[in-house]
Amino acid sequence: MNEIIMTLFNGLSASSIILLTSLGLAITFGLMRVINMAHGEFIMVGAYTTYMIHNIFAAYLPSEIFDLYYILAIPAAFAITFLLGILLEKFVISKLYGREIDSLLATWGISLIFQQAARSIFGSQGVLVQSPSFLSGGLSLGSVVISYNRLFILALVGVCLFLVWFIMYRSNFGAQMRATMQNRAMAQCLGINSRKVDSITFGIGSGLAGIAGCSVALLGSVDSTLGQNYIVNSFMSVVLGGVGKLLGTFISSNIIGFSSIFVENYTSSSIAKAIVLVIVIIFLQKRPQGLFVIRSRALDE
Amino acid sequence: MLKIQGLETYYGESRVINGLDLSVNKKDIVCLIGRNGVGKSTTLKSIMGLVKTPKGSIMLDGQEIIRMKTYDRVKLGIGYVPQGRDIFPQMTVQENLELGLQPLGGKGKIPEYIGDLFPVLAKFSKRKGGDLSGGQQQQLAIARALVAEPKILILDEPTEGIQPSIIEDIGNAIKKINQWKGLTILIVEQYLDFVLKISDYIYMMEKGNIVLEGKTSELSAEEVQKKMTE
Repeated sequence: MNEIIMTLFNGLSASSIILLTSLGLAITFGLMRVINMAHGEFIMVGAYTTYMIHNIFAAYLPSEIFDLYYILAIPAAFAITFLLGILLEKFVISKLYGREIDSLLATWGISLIFQQAARSIFGSQGVLVQSPSFLSGGLSLGSVVISYNRLFILALVGVCLFLVWFIMYRSNFGAQMRATMQNRAMAQCLGINSRKVDSITFGIGSGLAGIAGCSVALLGSVDSTLGQNYIVNSFMSVVLGGVGKLLGTFISSNIIGFSSIFVENYTSSSIAKAIVLVIVIIFLQKRPQGLFVIRSRALDE
Repeated sequence: MLKIQGLETYYGESRVINGLDLSVNKKDIVCLIGRNGVGKSTTLKSIMGLVKTPKGSIMLDGQEIIRMKTYDRVKLGIGYVPQGRDIFPQMTVQENLELGLQPLGGKGKIPEYIGDLFPVLAKFSKRKGGDLSGGQQQQLAIARALVAEPKILILDEPTEGIQPSIIEDIGNAIKKINQWKGLTILIVEQYLDFVLKISDYIYMMEKGNIVLEGKTSELSAEEVQKKMTE
């Protein structure tokens, strides 16, 4: 019984991390169709932002308020990666709309610049971020202990999902965003400044990567290649879910997370990753459009 | 209301509109006709700022708009229904209509007369735009352009690919808006019967310029037909 609870929780936890790291990509790649190879590096920037705020609090502020560093780190990670995303969109991506291969190459180059910059600033050794005390320890369910860190990430994913849903489907900006992503020229003909919408949308997608970085900083060491650990699963999740469908990304993150943990129980972590990748590739061979398909008369015509 | 003078429009290096002059008076329904590829749709795209227009002048209510961004032109009071309708297929009918409020900053309400003009849209308000028939999509596209109560409505081939009974409905709706609201309307169209039935003034285009113009009541249908098929 304990083993089942642990496997289920580990699956949920793995899924939530994949979902958090994929959510931003679901916007920049899923909605905007920009293959942003630097998405992983935005996760890394979010993690280093957390590390820097952690260090500032440890060095300069009273120890009683040390735990607050993490509360500040989440919006700070979002803000910094949001701004970086807007700059990247303005100076690079906007020149390459409709040229997927060019944007892939350009953003891959930028990801290398980010990685080297991180190595130059923080060194090649990984650094550790100490969890705030309210996230230390875990919740005991019989003999099973579920860490507060991972429970917190679950809650954070829930909040991020709700905010993305709210922005997209309940705000005027969301309506502008969806209109621009579906038909840029027509959106302009309705009075929407689609350049501004593109820029802010890319910023939000990048900002979500920053929040993901803030959360994964609690799970292990932070180094310049941190983002690379998450980028494959993130792209896989968006593609498997069906490009352009947030619900698809949600479901595929769970499929990948749970199946990885399930296979891992019988093999090892790296073999589990390889097996899940092969299953996803076979699935996409049969159904290249992913789990969910956007259908309409207009698109079929 | 709308005055175009010496307009030149280019696709890349090739000139598609060649010094075009055209005027649309307030409260008139003006039709721009001509064969395929003579530059009718490009003229409308020029008014909307969707193509390069290095020379000429486009005045809306006395204000020069030729160098303005598309979204700023719309905010001055242009409602546009493009060829192919371009409704947002993944959004509901209601969401498509609400997008029509964007020129007003996304605020305000959808005018009640829209429901009277197109009752089918109220009936299918929760249906995805992409699930509507071609005729219903056309009605949605016209309704969306009317939501912000523009000064001038521009329609690009509103009868294209639509069944005859719906064409009649669309023609009636255009006439009603013109009469109820005194709305100025510019239509690009190839379906001559439709044009003769609803327009006050006709411009005929050929090779990127106007070759014939006049009040609909004063033009001979046969002459127009002959010129169209020459």
